[in-house]
Amino acid sequence: MIECTHVYKKYRNGTNALYDINLNVAQGEFVYIIGPTGSGKSTLIKLLDGEEIPTKGTVGVIGIDVGKLRHSKVPIYRRNIGVVFQDYRLLPSKTVFENIAYALEVINMKKDLVRRRTREVMNLVGLDDKANSFPNQLSGGQQQRVAIGRAIANRPKLLIADEPTGNLDPAMSDEIMSLLEKINREYGTTVLMVTHDLTLVNKHRKRTIVLEHGHVVADLAEGGYVQHDQ
Amino acid sequence: MINRLFRPLKEGFRGVIRHGAMSLSSATAVTLTLIIVSLFLIFTVNVNQMTEGMEQTVTISVQIDHDHESAEQEDQLAMEIKAIEGVGSVTYYTKDEEFQFYLDSFEDEETKEVFEPFRDDNPMHDAFYIEVTDGTQLEEIAKKIEELDGVHKVAFGGQSAVQLISMLRTIRIAGGVLALALSLLAVFLIQNTIKLTILARADEIAIMRNVGAKNGFIRSPFVVEGAMIGALGALIPMAMTYYGYRYLYDVTGGYVVSKMFTLIPAKPFALYASLVLLGLGVLVGLIGSFFSVNKYLRWKR
Ligand SMILES: Nc1ncnc2c1ncn2[C@@H]1O[C@H](COP(=O)(O)OP(=O)(O)OP(=O)(O)O)[C@@H](O)[C@H]1O
Ligand SMILES: [Mg+2]
Repeated sequence: MIECTHVYKKYRNGTNALYDINLNVAQGEFVYIIGPTGSGKSTLIKLLDGEEIPTKGTVGVIGIDVGKLRHSKVPIYRRNIGVVFQDYRLLPSKTVFENIAYALEVINMKKDLVRRRTREVMNLVGLDDKANSFPNQLSGGQQQRVAIGRAIANRPKLLIADEPTGNLDPAMSDEIMSLLEKINREYGTTVLMVTHDLTLVNKHRKRTIVLEHGHVVADLAEGGYVQHDQ
Repeated sequence: MINRLFRPLKEGFRGVIRHGAMSLSSATAVTLTLIIVSLFLIFTVNVNQMTEGMEQTVTISVQIDHDHESAEQEDQLAMEIKAIEGVGSVTYYTKDEEFQFYLDSFEDEETKEVFEPFRDDNPMHDAFYIEVTDGTQLEEIAKKIEELDGVHKVAFGGQSAVQLISMLRTIRIAGGVLALALSLLAVFLIQNTIKLTILARADEIAIMRNVGAKNGFIRSPFVVEGAMIGALGALIPMAMTYYGYRYLYDVTGGYVVSKMFTLIPAKPFALYASLVLLGLGVLVGLIGSFFSVNKYLRWKR
């Protein structure tokens, strides 16, 4: 599913963000990526969704060499993956329904299919009654659920989330967590989730990859993480 | 399928409305440049027409020697003339036809009577009338023809016309270049204002790419929006051109200074010119927005 081999990333301004990352994630796994701020978590996500190109090494996702994609092919690749961000990134001028439907219109799905699938997804993320609300009329947790709904609308095999609970209180975070677990369980979607929230990591135990200063310093199959002395 | 065509139109229209202030400022930039372009357009096209009219009056007449009147000799000469660079059409008249023209140039019958006896002992020459493709080369071409075998006499009309033609030609080129430069300026202006509207929606574009929208899908509404703004900006220049030119034509009576400088009739031209402006506005908006979206799309992977 995900195969990173000897991946290095050095930004144009000279910042080294990742060193020799080797990573294998199988279909259907749920994996946390944790680590202190600046350790390269978001950089890894950006390499996976094609936003950044590795300086060295190959980033393989569902058999595609993501770093080698042409600019115009990147969006088409993204149809295979769903991405969720800390800041939701919803289109402010579109309603909840339209935001989710947009991800399907983009891939030229037929109109009635779009409508049916959007209803389905809204039901899945528990927003049946918010179809005509605009993003700024929703709570953070609700907005994040719209974003997750949009990300999974066209049934991607991989869902990557960069601190999806970063702006949410613990109760809402738990809700989002359960939603992601449900998606992982019911659809077999591989989930890769960056988080800062150690309480969450320790509560919902999953395979946990720890980054520090751009290196993978631990890959804990059983999950759970106790912060060691800095 | 219909949706694919309809969506950009709908979204583009929404964009114009939603970003009303910016649309209006872009449209104003287009309006101002198109007004100036319109002036140059009308000027240049009219000058062009005058030049062409004058060029047609400039011909070279070649009289053929009496000892060169056999069909072969004349064919030979015609071929040699046609081979000269800058020679357009070549028309041949026999000396009888020439004589008849001469007679016909007199109004009163008495004078015609006087010349009639000469018909059988015709002093006229067979002749070629030559139109040149480039009025400025008139003199050179005439000289070259003079050197050919069997040429009795070469004459051409309107040395002053020739100078005028070359002057008008310069003016026409300058006008064309200016109109083009102004159109480019308009592209630049609209590109800049549309860039602002796009920058305001940078997040939107990034999100579109995030959810897998192809570049064309993202671009098309913006391009439509640009075209609509361009069309909007063209409205005032169109009206000004349409009514302005008709008014100008009426007031001047259709010519400037002398009958030689006739204006293009207002009837279809005022309409065509304003349609050209509409086309130009749409094109400018289209190209301008195309470039600025592209630039932004490249920005973000
Ligand atoms: N676009 C960029 N250009 C240059 N340097 C960057 C860029 N993005 C990130 N960096 C640098 O790369 C390093 C890793 O950043 P990254 O955003 O991946 O960290 P992170 O683990 O996601 O941190 P956080 O937990 O704060 O989100 C940092 O030193 C950061 O300053
Ligand atoms: Mg980050």
